[in-house]
Amino acid sequence: MRSDAHVGAALAVGAAFRRPVSFPYLLLPAIWSARNRVRRRERGDSLRGLLFGSIGVVVVAALSGGSYWLARQVSAYEEFGDYLLRLGLSWLFLSFLAFLAFSGVVSALSSFFLADDLRLLMTTPVAARRLFFARFARTLAAASWMVVFMVPVLIGVGVGRHAPAAFYIASLTTLAPFAVIPVALGSACTLAVVNIFPARRARDLLMLMGLLFAVAIVLLLRFIQPERLMHVESLPDIADFFATLQSPITPMLPSFWAGESLFAGIKGGVDWLHQAALWTTAGAFTVLLGWAHERWHFPGYSRSQEAPKTRFARFAALDTLAAVLPLSDVRRQLLVKDVKVFLRDVSQWVQLLPLVALVLLYLYNFRVLDLERIPYMSGFVKNVYAFVNLGMAGFVMATVAVRFVFPAVSAEGAAFWIIRTSPISMHDFLWSKFWTALAPVLIFTELLTIAANVLLGVDPFLQVVAAGSIIVLTFALVGLATGLGARYPRFGADATQAAGSYGGVMFMILAVLLIIVTIALVGWPASIYMMSKTGQYRWRLTPDRQAIIVITLSMVVGICMATWRVAMRSGVKALDAMRG
Amino acid sequence: MIAVQHLVKEYGKFRAVDDVTLDVKPGEFHGFLGPNGAGKTTTMRMIAGLLKPSSGRILVDNHDLDTEPEAAKAALGFIPDRPFIYDKLTAGEFLRFHAGLYGMSNGMVEGRVHEMLDLFELRQWENELVESFSHGMKQRLVMSSAFFHRPRAVAVDEPMVGLDPRGARLIKDVFRRMSERGVAILMSTHTLEVAQEMCHRVSIIQKGRIIAQGTVDEVKQMAGSAIDEHLTSVFLKLTGGSGLQEIDEI
Repeated sequence: MRSDAHVGAALAVGAAFRRPVSFPYLLLPAIWSARNRVRRRERGDSLRGLLFGSIGVVVVAALSGGSYWLARQVSAYEEFGDYLLRLGLSWLFLSFLAFLAFSGVVSALSSFFLADDLRLLMTTPVAARRLFFARFARTLAAASWMVVFMVPVLIGVGVGRHAPAAFYIASLTTLAPFAVIPVALGSACTLAVVNIFPARRARDLLMLMGLLFAVAIVLLLRFIQPERLMHVESLPDIADFFATLQSPITPMLPSFWAGESLFAGIKGGVDWLHQAALWTTAGAFTVLLGWAHERWHFPGYSRSQEAPKTRFARFAALDTLAAVLPLSDVRRQLLVKDVKVFLRDVSQWVQLLPLVALVLLYLYNFRVLDLERIPYMSGFVKNVYAFVNLGMAGFVMATVAVRFVFPAVSAEGAAFWIIRTSPISMHDFLWSKFWTALAPVLIFTELLTIAANVLLGVDPFLQVVAAGSIIVLTFALVGLATGLGARYPRFGADATQAAGSYGGVMFMILAVLLIIVTIALVGWPASIYMMSKTGQYRWRLTPDRQAIIVITLSMVVGICMATWRVAMRSGVKALDAMRG
Repeated sequence: MIAVQHLVKEYGKFRAVDDVTLDVKPGEFHGFLGPNGAGKTTTMRMIAGLLKPSSGRILVDNHDLDTEPEAAKAALGFIPDRPFIYDKLTAGEFLRFHAGLYGMSNGMVEGRVHEMLDLFELRQWENELVESFSHGMKQRLVMSSAFFHRPRAVAVDEPMVGLDPRGARLIKDVFRRMSERGVAILMSTHTLEVAQEMCHRVSIIQKGRIIAQGTVDEVKQMAGSAIDEHLTSVFLKLTGGSGLQEIDEI
């Protein structure tokens, strides 16, 4: 410690309150943290940047290219084309309106009530109004980042329709207030729920919203019934279809105002009325939300800090199941612990719901589509869809694995010392993680593959090949995720951060490569077999071709099994090395 | 300086803090003692403005926390039991940000940052990310931020946990000097040796209610203990010493 005089000066009591802090100041930690991350790059940052950058470029190119093509197509129909374009823009904004409102609810819950830094900020003399603006800016950024995907779409439309500069200016002045409105509504919904419902249930909001969102997606798409377009021979149905498309678009919604503003921009004009409606509504919503926060944020924040209600405190079914499984006591306890921890963390498993909804929709479409009406979907080409399904199931599996299986070791977090200091071998520990993850992933993807192929009416041989491929691919991908998760753990990070880390990105690259190799190796013998069924002499199943089928299918099994075993062994080795 | 009047906090039917009244005067070092789950941290979090009381009043430097929260918080330095620090900021950046939150003008901040980092022996770590700090270093950084704006009152929850003897001595020394300079300190702790050594007055809370309050000697008298008896045995007498008996039996 320094001299008494210095210490005395350092600890002297001073004048208390000086000048109020402005709300952008409260965003500084996020900005400084981002800057520090860039300055102190970690291993894999470049790789991650390259991968995500490449994906971003491909997505942007696809979106702008697709929207350009569509805009060119509809422009060929003059007035009807204009109608279609307005309808399309309104639907685009209507979809985003729903996404943003849902995202606003979830983001507001996190940034206004659950964020760790509130424990610091709430103790400081920051005015409630300024804290609101800072947190709302954060909520807006977190909830509306997906609006960036609209930029390439609008650029594609603009270029496709030779839109003047006014269109691009209108795009900017439309997107900004358009994003604010649903996010403010979502935030208001969160504020109300946190204050109205018992605090212990506040976190269940996430689950509720996730379910509602999943149901909303399915209902929205079923409401439109796009499969009716298949009935091209019946014009009344087409008219009916467009009437259905028009029905949810009401002039009362901001999506309509945004669509009209942009359409006016395409035509070289400015739609002052709808622009004004967007800006005044966004402004009014922000002011009203700020007012509500000044009154009800602190009570809600105070309530949200109460301990969440324990779910599955008594989970007899799990205990019974674990008791009958042929497991050692150690693995049984690890299984029960992992399942309970996962089920109790709503914020984790709720993320599966939108994915499940999309998969169900994917399957439902096969059921309602009358494939025989589509010429190119009948016969041989239809069987190619078996591989599309295989790829789809593979990518769904990779996504689930990187988000839920890869972080399994990291999820032990600060409690990992319990494992490290107990008489459990790292082999047992990691294999327990593997088997715990394998069962649900295998059941989910196997059902997805079988259901999609049955609904499509794929050849039985291909159904068997696809089902078998998914089994070995599941072992490989779950093993790879578990092994790499142990090799590159991020104990201090949450599951999302761990999934986006160097190891997570590495897993995704390897997983995609493995899926491509598997599809290629399965596709070759399958095509030989399918060709032989055409009955043509030159495609007959010769002994050489039969050998190729056996060898390539064996290679798939070999590559997947090798990936599984090597990844797991590498993971166990890394954990052992950590133990020292 | 810190006045808590008839404070109550209810969670449904459960009353975590029940009619707690405290008055910590300028220069007073007040120990807030109690067993686990007695309501110490809940009370401290209400004083810091993190929890809304069900009823009662909290005044810091004569500012009502309910009606003048900014003025009350500006006069208080709060050190929580589980502090939050931005991991991706450096120690210097964290203190500078903290200075801004308390409305300190730029001219006085730089010198103050170095002064506090020197005092808490963190100067050489000024430009290191907080995520690389040990627990003790983080604890000292939190304290330097809590004292940064020269508070008139300090509320501190379990300050000695995880500190090495050198760190603990440093913290005790800092608290003593602050108290000598007129800062009111309310310290919640389990470390009864520290309370006995440093506190002018103590309050003992059990099941949400204050069961004893006064100087250490007055509390000993209340418990019917001898003046030379250690505070630990007094504490166990007041809060129920059966735990010790059970341990002996084992």
